[in-house]
Amino acid sequence: MIGNDIVDLAVAEVESNWRRKGYLDKIFTMKEQLLISKACNPEIMVWMLWSRKEACYKIFNRQTHIRIFNPIQFECSEMVFENKAFFGTVQFKEKVYYTKTEINEEVVYSVAVFMKSDFSKIKELRKPKMLLKIDGIPNRYDVKLDVLMPVSISHHGRFIRIISI
Amino acid sequence: MCDFKKIRIMKNTEEIIEQLKKIVKPYVKDQDAFDQLTETTDFINDLKINSANLVDVILDIEEIFDIVIDNESMERMLDVKSTLLIIETKLAEK
Repeated sequence: MIGNDIVDLAVAEVESNWRRKGYLDKIFTMKEQLLISKACNPEIMVWMLWSRKEACYKIFNRQTHIRIFNPIQFECSEMVFENKAFFGTVQFKEKVYYTKTEINEEVVYSVAVFMKSDFSKIKELRKPKMLLKIDGIPNRYDVKLDVLMPVSISHHGRFIRIISI
Repeated sequence: MCDFKKIRIMKNTEEIIEQLKKIVKPYVKDQDAFDQLTETTDFINDLKINSANLVDVILDIEEIFDIVIDNESMERMLDVKSTLLIIETKLAEK
């Protein structure tokens, strides 16, 4: 089970006014809003938390085949910086997901897994073949193993990332 | 007896759809889907609205219709049909 989400910071700056009244209250818990207000760069923190929620929602959607829009219910923990990435957990009701977030000047990128051991199995697909959507959820057909493997696609602005295990 | 107050406040579904179209327009990424908008149109899959902008759509709905959308309602606001239902329900509660 995997999910990913990318934010093109230049596009986000133009298209999303997160400072708008009521915006943060709709998507972030009080604890998360505290992380944003304490951050050296609140803007980056907003998109780090947002991309973690989105990446985890993609796993939830794959697990349940249910579509919802309820970002506030996906509560992000604080993150720990290790090996050039930020690691944390996200809780949705009784489910806990693990996230890894990378940032640079242009993008914020999060990958989420349900089992921590899946982090090391994730591979990026440059030219994906045999992609198959079921209920809007992407998979790839693995010819050698004769099974469907999960795929997660994220596209925002100038960037696209496709991953699988 | 007519309830005049209710008549004045209640809007018909077509009026609400027209207002909703004005609200979503700035965030739409698929113009063809927008031109052919029906009750079954999905904000994300059809109109290609970015999920971060779905928050703006919800805030705009709250402002324009003067209603409060709780998390439970927001959870279902992925298409025109459920959004209409939520707006109509919230307006009737006023």
